[in-house]
Amino acid sequence: MTGTMTGLQLVNGLASLLIVTSLMVIEAKGATRSAVYYALQSFILVLIFLALAVVMNAPQLYYWAGVALVTKVILVPVIMYRTLGRLSDPTLVEPRFGLAWTIILAGAVVAGCFAVVSSVHLPGAPELKPALAISLAHFFLGLACIVMQRNLLKQVFGYCLMENGSHLTLALMANRAPHVLEIGIVTDAIFAVVIMAIIGIMIHSRLQTLDVRQLTSLRG
Amino acid sequence: MTPANLMILLLLVPLAATVIAFAAPLFGTRRGPFIAEGAHVVSIVVLAAIAFALAATILEEDHLFAAGSWLYLDPLAAILVALICVVGLLTGIYSLGYIRHDLASGAITPGKLCRYYGFFNLFLFTMLWTVTANDIIMMWVGIEATTLGSAFLVGFYGQRASLEAAWKYVVICTVGVAFALYGTMLVYAEASAVMPDPHDASLWTSLVSHAASLNPGVMRLAFVFVLIGFGTKAGLFPMHAWLPDAHSEAPSPVSALLSGVLVNCALFVLLRYSAITTQATGPDFPHTLFLVLGGLSVAAGALLIYVQTDLKRLFAYSTTENVGLIVLGLGIGGPFGVAAAILQMINHSLTKTLLFCGTGNVLMKYGTRDLRSIKGLSATAPVSGALLIAGALALCGIPPFNIFVSEFMLVTAGLRAGYGWLMVICLLLLTVTLAALLRFIGGSLLGPRPEGLARGDVSAFALAPMAALLAVILLFGVALPQPVARLVESAASVVLQSNVTTAAVRAPWQSSNRDGSHEDNPLSATMRLSGRP
Repeated sequence: MTGTMTGLQLVNGLASLLIVTSLMVIEAKGATRSAVYYALQSFILVLIFLALAVVMNAPQLYYWAGVALVTKVILVPVIMYRTLGRLSDPTLVEPRFGLAWTIILAGAVVAGCFAVVSSVHLPGAPELKPALAISLAHFFLGLACIVMQRNLLKQVFGYCLMENGSHLTLALMANRAPHVLEIGIVTDAIFAVVIMAIIGIMIHSRLQTLDVRQLTSLRG
Repeated sequence: MTPANLMILLLLVPLAATVIAFAAPLFGTRRGPFIAEGAHVVSIVVLAAIAFALAATILEEDHLFAAGSWLYLDPLAAILVALICVVGLLTGIYSLGYIRHDLASGAITPGKLCRYYGFFNLFLFTMLWTVTANDIIMMWVGIEATTLGSAFLVGFYGQRASLEAAWKYVVICTVGVAFALYGTMLVYAEASAVMPDPHDASLWTSLVSHAASLNPGVMRLAFVFVLIGFGTKAGLFPMHAWLPDAHSEAPSPVSALLSGVLVNCALFVLLRYSAITTQATGPDFPHTLFLVLGGLSVAAGALLIYVQTDLKRLFAYSTTENVGLIVLGLGIGGPFGVAAAILQMINHSLTKTLLFCGTGNVLMKYGTRDLRSIKGLSATAPVSGALLIAGALALCGIPPFNIFVSEFMLVTAGLRAGYGWLMVICLLLLTVTLAALLRFIGGSLLGPRPEGLARGDVSAFALAPMAALLAVILLFGVALPQPVARLVESAASVVLQSNVTTAAVRAPWQSSNRDGSHEDNPLSATMRLSGRP
């Protein structure tokens, strides 16, 4: 029993580390650093899957951890590092909200998600509600990154964060679904990142910019 | 071949064509395009044949499973399969002339031509996957895959505006659809806690039979997520921002696929969820959300159509308006509202396919989408002009064209359900659209031929599918064929999960001499539309 409690605390603790690493991805200067931080975050996600496999007695999560290790810790970060690292846009001035404001925003999102998750009846283990709240918060932090950042590449990373958030929710709520479904979702996510990266590269080579506010030829 | 095998073939054929078309450039720049076109033609013809065979089977047997219980076809799915394959066939034939024209004008290379057919068939595959999936998580995977499969078609020309459209399309749709994943997971988690066999918790056929035991609070939350997610993909206001850009920048046959069938695939998934949610939460909650989002989409669409100066954006906003009408029908609910919504899905799809193909003819003749520069199409290219005039009048919702029938049914359903004011506002907004479309006909289609533009029409490859579409549009408008009407009625009872009442789906002037067939079934009491125009 004590072992399970420690395991749950470990899951919730690791989940909160996800938020810290997201802030690092969002605030990092340059796509290559973001890619490294993203790999770090995905590694924490893999650890959470392993811990959950023990705590929830769900051996299929070992397999999920393996898939995530190959795709999210290695494959996607390497693709991002090698392709996006070369793209630069000296004219793009990153908005500097300052780390303090970003942390306040993240805190507000996490608090909001805790409020929602604790007030609503949800299927699943009640002890894992903190982790569930954090996974939801992670999803919305990724969304905030997409909405607030001007840099195309940062928007791709924002999507990656959203996707890690929903992957954790999936592990918490739907880990007994057939393997093929998880494979489908992960495959979609990888293709989404690859396609965004390719279109980003095409935009950069054609328009010499990574600033989404330069994409203004379609209006009305 | 058994129907279950046909369903598997339905997915394998476009996938095989995709692989062949992508591999075609290996055979050189002369033979490659022919190989890609050949695989494409075989694929779209075979798909259309399979779709008709499956629709005939469903009329006989009501539903069928394939690949265990992973694939499922019922009347609702059969309608979508038929739409995807028919519109795929016609836009696929249209593409032969259109893309060759691009190749001849130097806009694309032979390798790019091959990739076009590869992505075209991949797009068909992802849509067919979505509508034949029985598993709700697979439906989500399918919808997400439609975005990924069609992104390069939207950005096909590689111009500044088309890349911009492709970027917005991918970002807005993947982010939007990610919301739907949360809804899907909530439904799955709730169902696996409640249902006797948790292994079936992601199968729609199991979910719908246990829907009444699902927690209403969880299902309300899930439905909001699902509506945001798939509503984004369906082009509902205010999540529609990707739609006018993607529809206007894609090659015209692809615009037809996006507007004619892709948005219907997203609506299909919403219909599937509506069938579950209505039982779990009662009809009020989903109906209210449908009425609000549908009404806003009709209003935004109608007003934005009026201010457009770009031909393809004009029709793109009309898509948002029509999706709004369909969702309004779902919000009105009942056998009449839902049947009207499903018929409007079919009718809008056919009409909009004709019109977007028509915009391709305009682009081939005039080289621009600017309505201020497009003058006198009927004098320049008489057949294209006549087809576009007919299509635009059909979109106005006037008889004897098909959209009149479904809009008439929809407004009647609204009045019967007590939404009088909403219907009046809706009709006023439709008048705004009518004005915009009549202005388009008067300003760009009629009138003298501009100086310096040679008289002459586009190739028969481009005109034949449009003529076929017009024939179907008129047929559906004058005398809706009985098998189609029966499929729509059965699809409505799939959504409503009741076979007690069936709305008679027909044009207001069609006689009801086939009602005898319904009386064979003691459960079906056929209601008739009161009032004639």
